[in-house]
Amino acid sequence: MGVVVLGLTAAFLVYLFTVGDFGGGRRGYELTARFGQVGALAQGADVRVAGVKVGTVSKITLDPATYFAQTRLAIDPEVKLPSDSTAKITSDGLLGGAHVVIEPGGAPDNLKPGGEIQNTQGAIDLLGLIGEVVRPKAAPPETGAE
Amino acid sequence: MGALNGGVTAPIRAIGRLASGSLAEVGAVSLFALRGVAAMVIGPWFPGQILRQFAAIGFFSLPVVSLTAVFTGAALALNIYTGGGRFNAEQIMPQIVALGLTRELGPVLAALMLAGRVSATIAAEIGAMRATEQIDAMRTLSTDPFHYLVAPRIVAAMVALPLLTLVADTIGIAGGWLVATLTLDFNPAVYARSTVDFIEAWDVGSGLVKAVVFGFIIALMGCYNGYTASGGARGVGRAATQAMVSAGILIFASDYVLTTLFTDR
Repeated sequence: MGVVVLGLTAAFLVYLFTVGDFGGGRRGYELTARFGQVGALAQGADVRVAGVKVGTVSKITLDPATYFAQTRLAIDPEVKLPSDSTAKITSDGLLGGAHVVIEPGGAPDNLKPGGEIQNTQGAIDLLGLIGEVVRPKAAPPETGAE
Repeated sequence: MGALNGGVTAPIRAIGRLASGSLAEVGAVSLFALRGVAAMVIGPWFPGQILRQFAAIGFFSLPVVSLTAVFTGAALALNIYTGGGRFNAEQIMPQIVALGLTRELGPVLAALMLAGRVSATIAAEIGAMRATEQIDAMRTLSTDPFHYLVAPRIVAAMVALPLLTLVADTIGIAGGWLVATLTLDFNPAVYARSTVDFIEAWDVGSGLVKAVVFGFIIALMGCYNGYTASGGARGVGRAATQAMVSAGILIFASDYVLTTLFTDR
């Protein structure tokens, strides 16, 4: 019994620390997308079209030249996306559940495996928005000094 | 006159007896702990005994600790999901589950299960040896029971409990992960990822420090109550119950003290 427990513990630990590092090339084809801000998006997050999961985020890296976040998306081969599709990062709730939503465009040609989604919209900095509402930058200094 | 005096002062005397009685108990436990630690530090050591106790306390507690952890993790996940749902923050659940388990529930639940399983066993074992005068026999053979019985158990518990806590943390997180992915539609990879990214070394480390202290308490309460058992077979039973209850209470009390120390404000 004890050995079984130790085995399960080790297996789950290995899973915890290796998941999200998968290549993504095993299932589906790969697309890239560059975002100005990925926010809470994590490797392994869903990629959805019209709310249906069609793939996962397989890698997130920083492009050192442009300071854009470079993401690789592994997409189900059944799903062909027009070349002018838009990728944007949204979330399920206030504090997390970030995922990529792809809105298919209308172009006649599809994105090839390895292609890049040109139209992107990064994560919205919600706290920054709240901060601007709560403490507007234009506010006179005396009201801000509690 | 004397009877009246007795009637008036009786409650006060009762309070005094209670106070001095419990203080005497605290003193006796402290002295016992001091002798135990001294035996642990100074030696001679009995590695065979330490290993045997380590297997009994650590390895054979794995099933019970992991079962506790998996159900606690699962229930915790559901509760936090409900709580988070009240302000649209269900997605923060993996982080809270991981934090709650590593900092608090992992060490405390592992310790409580051990208080039941190990403290009582130690008390019964040593209490039976006391009742059958084996401890006195040991002394006549110039083997100090503190070196041979108490120190190995304390060492083994202090090493075993942190390791069990690591298992409890992991299995507990696995329980939360199972519920989240099977019933609450969480993405398994994202759940795992948010847990790993969120948890800091000190979250786990502070839990392990707690576990070392709890291990000491568990072994100490078992040994003390067994060693001081009197009254034959019934005394042994009483010692086992006493060990379990006192270890449980001390675990909670010291958990609060340790948590205040670990909370940075």
